[in-house]
Amino acid sequence: MRTKLDACLSAVNQILLGKEPQVRLAMACLLARGHLLIEDLPGMGKTTLSHALARVLGLSFQRIQFTSDLLPGDILGTSVFDKDSGQFVFHPGPIFAELVLADEINRATPKSQSALLEAMEEGQVTIEGATRPLPEPFFVIATQNPVSQGGTFALPESQLDRFLMRLSLGYPGKAAERALLLGDSRRSLLPRLEPILDHRELGLIQAEIPQVRASDALIDYVLRLVDATRTQPQFAWGLSPRGSLALLAAARAWAFLAERDYVIPEDVQAVLPAVVGHRLRDQADPAGHGGSALVQWLLREVPAL
Amino acid sequence: MSALPTIPRISLTWLLVAQALVILPLLAHLPLWILALWLGCAGWRVQIFRMRAAFPTAWAKGGLMIAAGLGVYFSRGSLVGLDAGVVLLVAAFLLKLLEMRSRRDALVLIFLGFFVVVTGYLFDDSILVALFSLLPVTALLAALIGLQQSAIAQRPWPTARLAGSLVLQAVPLMVLLFIFFPRFGPLWSLPGPNDKGVTGLADSMAPADIADLSRSGALAFRAQFEGEVPARSELYWRALTLERFDGRRWSQSSLAQSPQTAQWQAAGESLRYSVVMQPSGQPWLFSLDVARTSLDSTRLMADFRLQRNRPVDRSLLYGVESWPQAVREPQLDAARRAVTLQLPADGDPRTREWAAQLKREHPHSEQLVQALLRHFNQQPFSYTLRPPRLGRDSIDGFLFDTRSGFCAHYAGAMTFVLRAAGIPARVVAGYQGGEFNPAGNYLQVRQFDAHAWVEYWRPQIGWTRVDPTFQVAPERIEQGLEQALSDEQSFLEDSPFSPLRYRQFAWLNQLRLGWDNLNYGWQRWVLGYQGTQQLELLQRWFGQLDGRLLALVLVGGGGLLLGALALWLFKPWQRERDPQQRLFRQFARLLARQGVHWQAGEGARAYAARAAGLLPAQAAAIEAFADLYEARRYAGEAIADAQLWRQLRLLRRALPWRLRVADKRTQ
Repeated sequence: MRTKLDACLSAVNQILLGKEPQVRLAMACLLARGHLLIEDLPGMGKTTLSHALARVLGLSFQRIQFTSDLLPGDILGTSVFDKDSGQFVFHPGPIFAELVLADEINRATPKSQSALLEAMEEGQVTIEGATRPLPEPFFVIATQNPVSQGGTFALPESQLDRFLMRLSLGYPGKAAERALLLGDSRRSLLPRLEPILDHRELGLIQAEIPQVRASDALIDYVLRLVDATRTQPQFAWGLSPRGSLALLAAARAWAFLAERDYVIPEDVQAVLPAVVGHRLRDQADPAGHGGSALVQWLLREVPAL
Repeated sequence: MSALPTIPRISLTWLLVAQALVILPLLAHLPLWILALWLGCAGWRVQIFRMRAAFPTAWAKGGLMIAAGLGVYFSRGSLVGLDAGVVLLVAAFLLKLLEMRSRRDALVLIFLGFFVVVTGYLFDDSILVALFSLLPVTALLAALIGLQQSAIAQRPWPTARLAGSLVLQAVPLMVLLFIFFPRFGPLWSLPGPNDKGVTGLADSMAPADIADLSRSGALAFRAQFEGEVPARSELYWRALTLERFDGRRWSQSSLAQSPQTAQWQAAGESLRYSVVMQPSGQPWLFSLDVARTSLDSTRLMADFRLQRNRPVDRSLLYGVESWPQAVREPQLDAARRAVTLQLPADGDPRTREWAAQLKREHPHSEQLVQALLRHFNQQPFSYTLRPPRLGRDSIDGFLFDTRSGFCAHYAGAMTFVLRAAGIPARVVAGYQGGEFNPAGNYLQVRQFDAHAWVEYWRPQIGWTRVDPTFQVAPERIEQGLEQALSDEQSFLEDSPFSPLRYRQFAWLNQLRLGWDNLNYGWQRWVLGYQGTQQLELLQRWFGQLDGRLLALVLVGGGGLLLGALALWLFKPWQRERDPQQRLFRQFARLLARQGVHWQAGEGARAYAARAAGLLPAQAAAIEAFADLYEARRYAGEAIADAQLWRQLRLLRRALPWRLRVADKRTQ
């Protein structure tokens, strides 16, 4: 099973060059049953990453391009009157896929955004009184352009909190970019990816991750981290319990990827920027993005042992 | 071990400084070539460190060693004995510097240095030397600390500061040990260095000897009275009696060593005082007549001198009770009568004739003595430290021709006349007077206070003191030597810088007396704090106490002190409760000594990886511990703490030993 996971990672890494840490984090996020938010400039490989992940994990893939005129029905689906049967027949929207790429989520209006986010949290959608379960597994990878860019509706904190991780891909290294320029187009490579895991195997792995041991000493560390965000003056507000659960779950997945059946503080530290970066605000700048500086402070100052 | 651990720069620096400081106070007692040897060795060593010179070859070392041995032999006349021994030790201490390659050699050198500091006390144990010796001790400690520091450390001051604070921390323990530690007698006796106690009374006296003594301002002893200090003219400090005369010299008679006890009856008021005596190299103690002392192994001999069973080779404190009006030896036995009437068979005919004439004129010895004193008083006798030379019949020459001399001439001549007239008489040598120090309320008696006077015997009345010098120069007795020599300007003429010559400047005199008082306190309370004194003090504090209780107090006090120190150092209330955390702290401490400090945000694995990168030789041991720790703490494996401690011990052995110099980053 682990070898297959490694194979998945290396397969994705062949598509998305020079981004091993981010790919691993994205994988950990999916294994921990979390949704992923990728925030970056356009053209950095956000779509490629989600597409490649869907392929290697053998998941059905749907992409929703968020625009300012996107309506909730475009996401969830609508009932259409069927003349033959004389009834309304539900036409499921793109959300009924195992891996949904919500591209440029912050270009849509809050109303449409919240339709997606409700589905993410509940794992089901309720349309016209009927509750319909979403497929299992169900992942959302949302991408957003940096808030500073025009025509964006920033996601509110309550909705950011729904994403287990927020990643930023960044520019590729020089060597990676050289390989990118010399190699085939990424889009043409994608269809060649073979599914490596099937649903059953993925389910098994996902079931195994909560079994990864988190000792008292490790829980103490997580508690110290959470406590620091709640008591130190530079934090505008502390981490929610959902945040601490997310941190532990992500750390477990990371430990699993590192082929360990127990979590060590280094695992927590590895996922900490991705997991809590978008949940924290600097007291001095509550509107801005002081998250990563705060995370660095946590990594540096909170005793790991 | 292809490369021995080298000596760090800081250690070498401090070792060189320490060597200079160790040798400096000894230089006055060492031959000059030692200075050259020291400069040569230090220079060579510095060049070796700068890689401009090689270590000496075996031939060079052997040659230097033989040269140093020969040097000691030729400058001290021997290779054994205290003087030669110290020179040899210092030479070895210097030569070892050249040979020093490894830490072990440096350790030898440092401990040798401590020993050389102690040998310095053999020559001089004054307060200044004692305080100064703290400097070389601190420097040696700094070298010792520097030896455990990294070879790349550059700044020597933090090391010296640490050494200084170590010395300061040792002070309470030092005081405790000083007060309580039992004083054992010496296991073997060590003859004092030769150049010590050169001045002082000897057991025989030619007049010139006392003149020599009068040129020295060195201290002979200090005396502190309980109650009033007697008048200066009563302060005749007896050292010994000289009963044998060979025509030129007066010396102790063979009877003086007989174990006869003194015959005397106490009368009148007694005086109580204590004396702190400078080392004299002679066995007799100084006292007023007739003395009794509590000092052990000391007795009052038949000629009323206090005699110790061994020479006074270090400063000595003793308490005395004296009865100045005691009747001494009312009956004279035949042997002593013979000794105190002894004269050379011939010589000095004029004196003998004059004595016979006096005897005819004054049948009573009392009258004869008075006539003799009148003679000295009325005839043109003069008191001088520069008497003309005397011929073969020295007494004749002095009494009838030159008529100038000092106490020894007068005492010798008077005794001769008395004996020639059939009256038992003898010369007493000792000190007269002394300078009162109001700062400490004691008398200081110096070598120039040396004096000789006369005792003659009468039936029933016993020995009576008479001082012919008083008739010639009463100011010598009443005011001291300086006044007696005021015309001649010969007081301390050989020592133009002696502060004693400048007593007319009040402030200088104050300073001198204050300084002397400090030294007196040092001698009285620090150097003199021996056996009986210690017991008395402890008994005053704790009542009657025996050895067992003393041992208990010593051990208990030491234990308490060390306990308090340990509490302060280790702060157990700040101790980590969690045993595994304690393990990790220990691990971090070990690595911090190597310069790899744990940072708060670092997990065990990250820290171990960083440390392993910096200490590749010990990487295996470091990672082994981290793995074990991680398995125990996070994987929940059943690993005993003991196993972790064992792993830690392995790591400690693998790491080179380092002493951590106080480093705020780790605290």
